[in-house]
Amino acid sequence: MHHNPIDIYNLSYVYADGTHALKDVSLTIRPSERVALVGANGSGKSTLLMHFNGLLTPQVGQVIVGTLVVEPQNLKAIRNFVGLVFQNPDDQLFMPTVWEDITFGPLNQGVKGQELIDRATEAMQAVGLDPSAFGSRNANALSGGEKKRVAIAGVLAMHPQVLVLDEPSAQLDPRSRRQLIELLATLPLTQLIATHDLDLALELCDRTIVLNRGRLVYDGSTEGIMCNPELLAEHALEPPLSYSRPYCQLEDVTA
Amino acid sequence: MILLHLGALHLADAEEISTPWHRLTPRSRVLCTVLLVFAIALTPNGRWLTWAIYAGTIAALILISRVNLHMLIRRVAVECIFIGIVIVGTLFREGGHVVWQWGWLRVTSEGLMILGSVATKAFLSLLVLNVLALTTSVPALLHALINLKMPPLLVAILASMYRYISVLSDEFTSMQRAARSRNLFSNRTRQRTIIGNMFGSLFIRTYDRGERVHQAMLARGYQGLPPLAEVPQPKQRDTVAITFTCVVALIGQAIYLGF
Repeated sequence: MHHNPIDIYNLSYVYADGTHALKDVSLTIRPSERVALVGANGSGKSTLLMHFNGLLTPQVGQVIVGTLVVEPQNLKAIRNFVGLVFQNPDDQLFMPTVWEDITFGPLNQGVKGQELIDRATEAMQAVGLDPSAFGSRNANALSGGEKKRVAIAGVLAMHPQVLVLDEPSAQLDPRSRRQLIELLATLPLTQLIATHDLDLALELCDRTIVLNRGRLVYDGSTEGIMCNPELLAEHALEPPLSYSRPYCQLEDVTA
Repeated sequence: MILLHLGALHLADAEEISTPWHRLTPRSRVLCTVLLVFAIALTPNGRWLTWAIYAGTIAALILISRVNLHMLIRRVAVECIFIGIVIVGTLFREGGHVVWQWGWLRVTSEGLMILGSVATKAFLSLLVLNVLALTTSVPALLHALINLKMPPLLVAILASMYRYISVLSDEFTSMQRAARSRNLFSNRTRQRTIIGNMFGSLFIRTYDRGERVHQAMLARGYQGLPPLAEVPQPKQRDTVAITFTCVVALIGQAIYLGF
């Protein structure tokens, strides 16, 4: 891939109620990068994510996905290029069975027959679900971790180049969260992860983007911001737990 | 009819055993059922022999499909209560001789005949529809409907209802628990207001969820019409089953032609 998967220039967005969700945001995501997008509630993370997939079109500024400008006529190609995994899997798993849900995206792309079966099977295997055991199950009957996996598989089956995840570790128990981190670490896609889970960001992403009230306030190495409690506090964030436990640091160990 | 059972979502676990009925494609099962229901419902009142033939066919179907009898009777019983309330009014029709009278309430032979006919129609139709619902999973039924050229958008709405009804009922239960945990159910008059408010907030949440689900659909390339998956092709046995149903339906009707 010779071009950047996502380029954003001077993007601003105002909701109908007058809320300035994004103000003059510019950034570039490079191929195969894993980027964390952090910020307090209401900082504009979800609004930014929806621009990547063309669910929102820019009011001011420009979003370029692959080589395509986010405009109504390019939306189909853009949605095949960027896969969006929503925060609440119940919003995303809308088909009666797991198999139907995973094949929803490829069917919209016009994939049929054996290729459809191969794609869905591949996607389920990539997230560690057995197609024969899970395919016919109802999404209601799955655990939170399983629902998340099915949601990711549904997006992977579309063969996107970029995976965008909104709060992937929210509502997961520690084991499911650990499995999710391991899963995301194995996926060879460009990934953008919006999260409050700074430990997850630290573990998975080399680069972090911080949003505060719609403005991009930090774009640099993850280590760089996590080691800076003042900067984090300024943007209503806290250092990850792995950095803030004094009893875990060698100098605090009593002899 | 399916909606009456949505509270008990074990519908999706329709038994997958191997019987001649289960070996038919879901499309053929739906077609046979619909044909029988139409034949039963469109038979003029008082043609008991026709319904006896149809009842015999349904009894054979129940035996062949090895459907869980206990479950079948329970479901039909629940539905009969609803239907009973609706059809009880037919008892007081004018016409024929008076069988029983109390003040202005008068039961006539005509009324009895109509009530009996409508009740038989309802009972037989419910039996055969329940056999279908108990032997075919909801996703398979929805596929069959699409295959039978039902508007895909309508089927998509049914599919969403099936998918989300338990999510909604869970949300309502958790709201109810939250209210109970703060002792809001101690006062009977307030209880009504609170339940009303709950329904209101459930409606708004449903609307919001609908928006989010639509966004999730758009994000995966949805363009207004749900994609159609491939469905199993009908075999010879499907043609035989549909032909047999048609023949039974016609025999039932023909039996009164000579009279």
